[in-house]
Amino acid sequence: MTVTVDTALAADARRERRFFLSLSLPALFIVGLAAILPILWIIRQSFLTTGGEYTVGNYQKVLSSGLTWSALVTTLELSLGTLAICILLGTPLALALASARPRVANVLMAFVMLPLWTAILVRTYGWLVLLRRDGLINAALTGSGLTAEPLPLVYNFTGTLIGMVHYMLPLFLLPVYAAMRDIDPNLIRAGASMGATLGQVIRTVIMPLSAGGIFSGSIIVLIYTIGFFITPAVLGGGRVNPLSTRIERTLTTFQDWGSASVLGILLLVLMALIGVMLLAARRLLAQNTVDAPHA
Amino acid sequence: MSWLRISLAAFAISAALPVHAQTVTITTAGGDYGNAMKEAMWGPAAKELGYDIREETLSDGLAALKMQVTSGAVTTDVIHLGSPEGAQAAAQSLLEPLDYKIIDPKSVPDGAKSDYCYPFDSYGTVMSWNTKTYGENPPKTWAEFWDVAKFSGRRALRANAQDSIEIALLSDGVAPADVYSVLSTPEGLERAIKRLEAIKPNVAVWWTSGAQSAQLLKDGEADLVITWNGRAQTVKADGGAADYTFKGSVIGTDCLGVPKGAPNKEAAMKLIAAMTQPARVAKLTDFIAYGPVNPAAYEGGLIPEDRLKTLATAPENAGTSVFSNSEWWVKNGEAAQKAFDEMMAR
Repeated sequence: MTVTVDTALAADARRERRFFLSLSLPALFIVGLAAILPILWIIRQSFLTTGGEYTVGNYQKVLSSGLTWSALVTTLELSLGTLAICILLGTPLALALASARPRVANVLMAFVMLPLWTAILVRTYGWLVLLRRDGLINAALTGSGLTAEPLPLVYNFTGTLIGMVHYMLPLFLLPVYAAMRDIDPNLIRAGASMGATLGQVIRTVIMPLSAGGIFSGSIIVLIYTIGFFITPAVLGGGRVNPLSTRIERTLTTFQDWGSASVLGILLLVLMALIGVMLLAARRLLAQNTVDAPHA
Repeated sequence: MSWLRISLAAFAISAALPVHAQTVTITTAGGDYGNAMKEAMWGPAAKELGYDIREETLSDGLAALKMQVTSGAVTTDVIHLGSPEGAQAAAQSLLEPLDYKIIDPKSVPDGAKSDYCYPFDSYGTVMSWNTKTYGENPPKTWAEFWDVAKFSGRRALRANAQDSIEIALLSDGVAPADVYSVLSTPEGLERAIKRLEAIKPNVAVWWTSGAQSAQLLKDGEADLVITWNGRAQTVKADGGAADYTFKGSVIGTDCLGVPKGAPNKEAAMKLIAAMTQPARVAKLTDFIAYGPVNPAAYEGGLIPEDRLKTLATAPENAGTSVFSNSEWWVKNGEAAQKAFDEMMAR
């Protein structure tokens, strides 16, 4: 009896698994169509001359150009700069949100999410209005006598960074907030009852338990910012040229699809590298957290 | 349903009519510009020649031309391109050589001449300035534009080598007629780049779109802006504290070409010749501020006096301006842009 029930159950489970798998097929199909095929096409394109013959010339040209490397440095500066500011601003904010009463937290969260519901172009041009020479911020600064001359807040690296942080902060915040909210309050109470100061509680309980969220947030920030185009193009004033604007120039000014594809692959490799590094770091940290009580 | 019956009837009648007229297909950019060309240029020309014209509109003429020619299915007889695209198309053997036995070769000034794409109207890359900053005394030459001691103020230039390197040489005392021969030497290109690097600390913004350049001028974000005349004119007309001059401008042109393997090659040449008659390209300025390339269009009062100020190729500006040399750009553009980008990255 039990045997037949078991096999029936197992068959049922198999059917169920197959059914769930088939549910994911449309999504897999779209991913394949929208992501994998174009990437394969770009890889092929990177090995073609404008005449359509196979070549490695595109790679030689792009990798030997100083412009590529300076664009790479700018890309990393922008991404890491955005990440650093997001961690500095976002982690305390997430802590505040997670420890607030649910009703207050929900209202605050709505404010945090508000920029996410605004189109990126609108937001970027909004910053232009605020940051430009006769913009609100400079008018306030010079009008109040705090500065004699308007500050160069936009059309440079600073302006680009401001725009990028503004875009990324909510996306960074979400996983960090989720991780912090899920921390069992009893752990914090236990720590406090054993005489831990607030700083110690944050360091030894909250941070290790929200590290996963911070890592997820960091991955999101890095992967998004590495390909950022509109913000540097509008707020950078032609001076801030990461790989994305380099790709645009290669396409529109030179119509050089081969070199642009190489640059695109460079971006892809960069993302893969960062992903691998972050995952390795996360594993290392997870080990340390496990070891911590013994130390 | 009556409209359907009427249009069906109209269709039946037109299909039943014997076709005698030569049919020629023209491809334009459409929109206001395309309509202006139809009203002023090819409409009257077709009537004169007795042609039936089929109009196609496309925003990316070069891509469409390439597709038609490479697939061997050429349907267009006359195509409207920007001159840089025209030169690219010629370099890729996508155009028939112009028949200068049908088209008058003397109707184009030397600097603008092309064997493959006939330039008919123009716009200028000009110096514009904030009238609040400079009042009655703006810089008058590119040398003065570069003179940051005499004319302090924030500059805005296009983040592109095109036109910028020509202007850099003009500011350095190179005569308009010599710009491209100087640029064709490695030292000449380097001289232009050095000149741009010299003014770089005073450039507040390197703009990347025409709309952006207009915004900079309008908001006073920059005091001196190198931009296209249409953009400067719009700011001025909207009441912005801005003015501009065509003196020393770099003139870009739009042109008409015949795709390689066009079905009605000779008729296409005749249409180009007829639609670019002085009176017709002069008439185009009734609709849009693109100045005729043909100097004869400025004679005999074909264009009202007060409109001349808005046209890049008006005679009073001749001699100080440079026609952008599309063939030079096709050959040297990539190297020039690379040198420019490296200057920007330094």
